[in-house]
Amino acid sequence: MDTSFIERFLIVLTLYNLLVTAAISLYGIVARPSITKKIISLTILGDSLNVLAILIGFRVFSVPPVLLKLDANPDELLNLAYSAVDPLPQALVLTAIVIGLAVNLFLIFLALQVYRLYGTLDSRKIKELRG
Amino acid sequence: MRKYIVLLSIVLTTSVLAYITTYLEAIGLVGLDTRYLAKLFLTLAYNPLARELTVLSPEAVTSIVWDFRGIDTFYETVVFYMAIIAALAIYRGVGYPSIRSEKGLSIIVKVVTKLLIPINIAIAVSVAAHGHLTPGGGFQAGAALAVISVLLAVVFSASSFARVGVSLSKAIALRTVGLLAIAAVVFVPVVFNALTGVQAYLMQNYVKVDSEFAFPTHIQSQLISGTLIWFNLAEFLAVSFGFFVVFMLLSLREDVVREQLGEEHGH
Repeated sequence: MDTSFIERFLIVLTLYNLLVTAAISLYGIVARPSITKKIISLTILGDSLNVLAILIGFRVFSVPPVLLKLDANPDELLNLAYSAVDPLPQALVLTAIVIGLAVNLFLIFLALQVYRLYGTLDSRKIKELRG
Repeated sequence: MRKYIVLLSIVLTTSVLAYITTYLEAIGLVGLDTRYLAKLFLTLAYNPLARELTVLSPEAVTSIVWDFRGIDTFYETVVFYMAIIAALAIYRGVGYPSIRSEKGLSIIVKVVTKLLIPINIAIAVSVAAHGHLTPGGGFQAGAALAVISVLLAVVFSASSFARVGVSLSKAIALRTVGLLAIAAVVFVPVVFNALTGVQAYLMQNYVKVDSEFAFPTHIQSQLISGTLIWFNLAEFLAVSFGFFVVFMLLSLREDVVREQLGEEHGH
């Protein structure tokens, strides 16, 4: 089964768009002065890299990596192995999402505390403050 | 205007690059074959023929998460645990205030939410308990249950946590119980080895080449896949109440927090 040009083009376009999204979010983390926007950019970076990992494990005409019957014979097992998507990126992304959420929440706590202490979330102004 | 030029140039550049890459077939991304490692995981996840290598779980992702790469996941759970400890350290000294007469949203939203919460709990528990059979598991179930904490805070106001019997210290204790339960399941084979002398390894799930130790794989002909269901349920507890803790703290009113954090926070 061969994929048509347009299908391959769309998948490659998705790949490039994810890389561009990651690049824009990196710009957001580095260049935006607001800590809130830095955190938003960080979540976008994490999500786009997660989708990238899932896309790397993706195979066209594939099925989910779940065995549908428990009395499968070796042929059916091999059939699953040759037709399912790669489960390893999914497993890694699954934990990465939850841990990313926890780390983001921690960053939000930090940002809240910074706001309480300095009265601003502008990193240029925070840099000028002493004490 | 400058914004649109930047946007247009990005869209054009990616499209042209994608077209060229596809035309030259420079990326073998859409190949039909699966990688060797993936084949290994997929054929071994549920394979009674390969007795010493299988996990006996038809769900390949959960097999990887809690068996093939189980120690990874354990440490990732620890990272999750530490992130919340760090958040708690920032809020040290902040307690949950006693019940105030806060009102929350309108009666319609409240009734709908009351109807949704039992469904939410049922979905979360079933996602956790079926983690070894269908896509899902402790992480996803925990995230699903954590939605309730946000709903409670937004719809019924932060004082409703005390009304439904969830306090900050209880949530912290429950998530610690979750992590300890994971550790307990990890150490069961070692204790078994010490008591009976049968060869068994740390975090072992099913029989290995030189070890006949195995967790029970079925309860009354229902497949539970050895350690996987226990890991999933424990992780469910750890993740859901970990999120409960942070969302409870985040839903505290700003004046209450400032009051408790002391003088130097006043602005």
